[in-house]
Amino acid sequence: MNGRFAMNRGFALALLAATLAVACSTPDPTAQTPVVGPDRAGFGPVHAFVDHRCGSLDCHGTRYRNMRLWGHDGMRLAVGDIPGVSPTTSAELDASYTSIVELEPEIMSAVVADHGANPERLTLVRKARGTEQHVGGAVVVAGDARDRCIVSWLAGTTDTTACAEALVLP
Amino acid sequence: MVSSRLPAVVVAAAVAACSLDPVHDDAVRDLGGEAPGVRPGPTHRAGQPCLVCHDGSTAQPAMSVAGTIYGAPDSPAGLAGVGVTLADASGAIRTAVTNAAGNFYVEDSSWRPVFPLRVVVNYGAIPAPMSTIIGRDGSCAACHVDPPSRISPGRVYVAPSASLLPEAGSP
Repeated sequence: MNGRFAMNRGFALALLAATLAVACSTPDPTAQTPVVGPDRAGFGPVHAFVDHRCGSLDCHGTRYRNMRLWGHDGMRLAVGDIPGVSPTTSAELDASYTSIVELEPEIMSAVVADHGANPERLTLVRKARGTEQHVGGAVVVAGDARDRCIVSWLAGTTDTTACAEALVLP
Repeated sequence: MVSSRLPAVVVAAAVAACSLDPVHDDAVRDLGGEAPGVRPGPTHRAGQPCLVCHDGSTAQPAMSVAGTIYGAPDSPAGLAGVGVTLADASGAIRTAVTNAAGNFYVEDSSWRPVFPLRVVVNYGAIPAPMSTIIGRDGSCAACHVDPPSRISPGRVYVAPSASLLPEAGSP
């Protein structure tokens, strides 16, 4: 009886030690999640639209948002640049691109790998369409020029005509 | 008798003394006190983000859109008689005029606009549309903070002539 108890106790302790070892293991500090974003070169027309429509200083043109946009119509990246004055810089395009792409890196990579299929997997698209709670409301309607501007970029073929049209829509 | 009511009194006092939003409390505190010689009213706190307090919880009246317009970016005082035309996403339009302090406001009880808003400032024969939309904040000074910086275009102002327009600010 005592021998069985001692064996059970030993097994329990070993199991506990193994569990703790697994639970307390630290993540690999060198591990990285590779991000495959949409074409950076095709982002310019998209940025012109989102900077104007989404990037105002009281919306996504602020550090208080997870998705932050920099550019002419909102927050500037470089000290000395002032909203509404000088044109959007290349660095601001890069920063805005990174901000959007790295919001949900795994999902973004999957959408890009699927050539833009089912873009509503992205919070970016759901919030823009208003199908997920968004203080700014529905900014685009699925299929309209504003929506096509974004989803065509996700698909790898930015619809520059749609983006230009989106810029002048109310 | 008294002891049985004490916990309720303590709780009520604590609720009255503490806001549930420390961020809002900090924002109100950051505004500081009234300017010397200016009593609370339509001409007070020119240039401050009005809706921090006039949001219906801290000060009355509750406002939906409010701000201050200056005669120049470095002017110490606001400009009276400037028209501000506001158009919301539903197509509704309201117009307000700045008072002696340069302040204008729209009370929340009279209009609760659907954002985003588009704004045109009218002074004399020169209508000046705001180049961007207002996405969510009815306080002009939430974004138009003096001095201009990478996160603020500076004060909203009108100028008597184009030659007096500096490069920065929101003419």
